[in-house]
Amino acid sequence: MAVEDFAFLIPLLPALAFVLTFFLGKKLPTGGAIIPIAAIATSFVISLLITLNLLANPEEVVNQSYNWFSMFNIGILVDPLAAVMLTMVSFVSLLIHIYSVGYMSHDKAPSRYFAETALFTASMLGLILSDNILQLFICWELVGVCSYLLIGFWYEKPSAASAAKKAFLTTRVGDVMFLAGIVILFSDLFKIFNGTIPEGVYILRFDEIFTHIPEIAALNANILGMDVSHITIITLLFFGGAVGKSGQFPLHVWLPDAMEGPTTVSALIHAATMVTAGVYLVARTFPMFIAAPDSLMIVAYLGAFTAIFAATMGIVMNDIKRVLAYSTISQLGYMMLGLGVGAAIGAEAVGISIFHLINHAFFKALLFLCAGSVIHAVGTHDMRQLGGVAKVMPITAATMIAASLALAGIGIPGTSIGTSGFFSKDAIIESAYLFGETTGTWIPYALSIAAALLTSLYIFRLLFMTFYGKPRTDYGGHESPASMTIPLSILAVFALVFGGLTSQRFNTFVSETFVNNFVHMDIAELASIGGYHLASHAGHEPILILWMPLIVALAGFLIAFLVYGLKIVNMDSLVSRNNPIYKLLYNRYYQNAIFTNFFSVKVIYEGFAFAGRAIDRGFDWIVKWMSDLTLEAGESLRQFQTGKVQNYATAVITGVSLLVILIKVVMEVL
Amino acid sequence: MIPIAFYLALAAIIFSIGLYGLMTQRSGIRILMCVELMLNAANLNLVAFSSYNGDLTGQVFALFSIALAACEAAIGFAILMAIYRMKDTISLETINILRW
Repeated sequence: MAVEDFAFLIPLLPALAFVLTFFLGKKLPTGGAIIPIAAIATSFVISLLITLNLLANPEEVVNQSYNWFSMFNIGILVDPLAAVMLTMVSFVSLLIHIYSVGYMSHDKAPSRYFAETALFTASMLGLILSDNILQLFICWELVGVCSYLLIGFWYEKPSAASAAKKAFLTTRVGDVMFLAGIVILFSDLFKIFNGTIPEGVYILRFDEIFTHIPEIAALNANILGMDVSHITIITLLFFGGAVGKSGQFPLHVWLPDAMEGPTTVSALIHAATMVTAGVYLVARTFPMFIAAPDSLMIVAYLGAFTAIFAATMGIVMNDIKRVLAYSTISQLGYMMLGLGVGAAIGAEAVGISIFHLINHAFFKALLFLCAGSVIHAVGTHDMRQLGGVAKVMPITAATMIAASLALAGIGIPGTSIGTSGFFSKDAIIESAYLFGETTGTWIPYALSIAAALLTSLYIFRLLFMTFYGKPRTDYGGHESPASMTIPLSILAVFALVFGGLTSQRFNTFVSETFVNNFVHMDIAELASIGGYHLASHAGHEPILILWMPLIVALAGFLIAFLVYGLKIVNMDSLVSRNNPIYKLLYNRYYQNAIFTNFFSVKVIYEGFAFAGRAIDRGFDWIVKWMSDLTLEAGESLRQFQTGKVQNYATAVITGVSLLVILIKVVMEVL
Repeated sequence: MIPIAFYLALAAIIFSIGLYGLMTQRSGIRILMCVELMLNAANLNLVAFSSYNGDLTGQVFALFSIALAACEAAIGFAILMAIYRMKDTISLETINILRW
């Protein structure tokens, strides 16, 4: 049997591990961590073997599908895009699970933790494997539920409980849009088939959807006097789902708060299992996006804006995990931008975006695990109280530096020397340049370059404040155990060299998902439906453009070094409550305040209270009316019960007489 | 031979008298008497038809009916006696404690 036959086990094993750990974990040492670790390790091996096989034989896409009910199927699809995602998710998740053994050793309920993370991983793997959009949506929701459970893992803490609710409700806004998109897509396809679906055709399968893109694009809806193609509506609704899940502006507010869970959960959410789902959704439905006029432009703009928007907040946060959270939002913005520039470079956009996603998963998981290691040892995540941690925790510090270099994107352009983040981020920024050349709009490029500067600035600020200098408080601390440092070291190696080793091969491999493999599609033809003009990505950018990301990254490092390392430049006047810009950033653009005070309190709370009161009154009135009616009817009806036997006799006689007359009449008529 | 219509007319008259009494009288005894009247009007009919058809079943039935009427009267009077002992009257207007 070939390894492809075991592909269905990839999500099923962790799901089984969830059940086993949940019921048996308490009786096993370390909360039964060995069960999910073994399950996810097996998933990883299967994924890796399939990926390697796909690399060698690109046409051997795994696609198995079974009838579920009526016109819906349940099935798995492993094409290059899914394969690399599966491998990354299972690998990172595996390392995080191993790390968690040490990290959760002091916790009260490790078995619940391991059960939930196993389910989290299972749902994400299921999401990636789905070969139809309905199954993807189910797993998508499962991921949401698991994130709720894990962010609120320490549910006795009110802040954790409310962060969990916030994450769930905020992503729900996106989920509803995603569902609406699926419903419109379904009804369009139903219309295209004239309501008669042939046996064995599952209309929500991706290949089926992609085959009918031109027909969907031909359908128009009239919105506010403008003719909008259905495909634009559907893709924008899908993107709305991705905005919620992947923390794009304005639905990113849940991500920084999600830090209330254990740090390992943050690592899982930020690197492997949750926020990448949105990017994956857009990448998976990329043929629809490229055939949809304006959709990719919106993706590009919003991605670029999110990248800079989150980065500006990242530079002023004092909580080590919050800095990383804003960093994630910013990097997700890059990934979305990477997909958006597909308007200029076609299917290759999927390659570079997923490439950044994978690299980001490695270094972001590493950053979080390092932060977790520091928090585990020191017991605080306020960077103002840290400093000089490098002396106490050399391995953690070294791996953290590796991750930061990868995040900042340090490397030498034109060669294959550089950290992972360098290759993928530069590819995105260069594509943004090409996007500017093709479409004439330079805003995404400008924003992405500025965000690169800020990225480098905030991550080196974090490094200097945490690991460099002298301790600012007496925190003690010790290096973490081997079960924590070994995953750190493995991830550090990947963060440093993965990009360099694979950058040549990766983009072609993933990009060809939509060209050669699973459906035969002409991306250029689809792009012409969407009205995009594809440029050839020949690397003819000016030399300055190639060096620009590195220059700004070094500039960011220099600023951070001067301000937080050598402390030559005194920033006290800038970093104060008196500076309106600092205040604006520190208060996160008051978006939370607006959401909470205005939207939540005024609109939802009071609005719903008002509506609820009105409805309550309405129901009250109906209920009261009904009871009054019954009472009055009873009051008048009981007057018939006179208690006089003569009246009863009269009634009987009258009744009998009427009956006789009736029978007589009926007999006559018949 | 007297035509059957006469018997039927007589029975109807007796029945109507009984009905009228049932609906208007207040004394328990009078009401019982009225009920007896209606019953006997029915018996009269039975016997009349029996004789007219030459079938004895109707007359046998009438005998049963009379026996039942005796039982009914006995029970009715017993109830009225009990009521009288309790209330010192047999006016049925006073027997309405189960009314609203």
